Amino acid sequence: MLNFIAFFRRFRVFLVFLILQIAALSSFFSVMSFPRTKFFNSSTAFTGTMLTWERNIVKYLYLDEANERLQAENVLLEKRIADNFVSIDNNTALIKDTLKRLAFERLPATVINSSYTHANNYFTINAGSDKGIEKKMGVVSSNGIVGIVYDVSENFAIVKSVLTSDINISAFIKKSNAHGLIKYDGGNPRKVKLTGFSNDIEVEIGSEVSARGSGGYFPQGEPIGVVEKLEPIEGKPMWDITVKLSQDMRKLRYVYIIKNIHQMELESLEMKIQQLQ
Amino acid sequence: MNILVKNILRLLIFVLAQGLIFGQLNFGYGIHPMIYPLFILMLPFDTRPVVLMIMAFIAGVGVDFFMNTFGLHASASVFIAYIRPGIFRQFAPRDDYDVLKEPIAREWGYPWFIKVSGLTILLHHLWFFGLEYFKWSSWKEILVSTLLSSIISLTIFILIQVLFFKKSKNV
Repeated sequence: MLNFIAFFRRFRVFLVFLILQIAALSSFFSVMSFPRTKFFNSSTAFTGTMLTWERNIVKYLYLDEANERLQAENVLLEKRIADNFVSIDNNTALIKDTLKRLAFERLPATVINSSYTHANNYFTINAGSDKGIEKKMGVVSSNGIVGIVYDVSENFAIVKSVLTSDINISAFIKKSNAHGLIKYDGGNPRKVKLTGFSNDIEVEIGSEVSARGSGGYFPQGEPIGVVEKLEPIEGKPMWDITVKLSQDMRKLRYVYIIKNIHQMELESLEMKIQQLQ
Repeated sequence: MNILVKNILRLLIFVLAQGLIFGQLNFGYGIHPMIYPLFILMLPFDTRPVVLMIMAFIAGVGVDFFMNTFGLHASASVFIAYIRPGIFRQFAPRDDYDVLKEPIAREWGYPWFIKVSGLTILLHHLWFFGLEYFKWSSWKEILVSTLLSSIISLTIFILIQVLFFKKSKNV
């Protein structure tokens, strides 16, 4: 009888261990497969506030770098202002452009918490549903694509970084126009893989990789990086392409969230594809 | 100080230090220093295993909130809380532990502390990184991350013991 009680005590400990493990791991793996849980993340009010305090202290260390970046961006933007242009030809007529409309809006935000050394990386930004941010919006920096919004609270949002194994951003290589999917396989936070390229397509090292704009997350041609290495995969007629990201994810501070004005239209139209099949 | 209040304060300090300081350090090479396992190691000897695991779960969830890891830290810390009694038994001194003393280096000597915390950290990190990658093909990354992070974490553990748990009576 005493032995039985001792056995039961041991078993009870293991039972509690099992229950706690299931609680923790079911949350972890459900996040890995598809977005559902809202419990374990730093967009909750308390940790969000704490991380904002921390960031307020640390941000002074990065002011120099931020200023340089903004200056460079300003120079680029000023080149586009019509006031800075002088007409060369006196006979040009003024044409009001009705062919082009604004399709993508950019909302600025600051990264308050980030990681890049895990196998799957997420970061937190200080803008949420109050500023009109919704799930599945694209996130870019001034250099290139950095992720997709994964979950939103009132004042914060979590972004699934491009350094996540199932990020699957559709991308194309500029010269060949062939397209594939961006994936991250851990290891080096500067490099991602471009998959789905069959090896009869010619790819040059150094050519630019840009977003294809499928799904409407990013404007077409938003930069991602450049092709750095090209190797054939053994036993498959495919290229193993390594892309060097143009945004160094280790230095990410200021980002823009991309709002696609025609997103609803695109989605409702693409829904019809399933009905046709 | 009341032993319950002391441990709750320690829980808060360790989780905040992990979330706001050690979790934000980026060494590269897959190194993630983790200090909250020390909290689980330093709970009193006579803590019941179930209570131990629940405390570990709370600490782990607290760290998960800060690190966007969605339950991974909770799982790893419950795991080491589960195996802690076994590890302590393995390295028990000849006349067994004095349950009134705390499991810290000052009471039981640094060789004992390094052996116990080294093994705990190694198993914790192996569990953590194994689940994070969750692929046989990335065994190299898992091993490298585990070994390098373990060395850094163990160093931090020893530093904490030297700095904050000195021989003076005021601690």
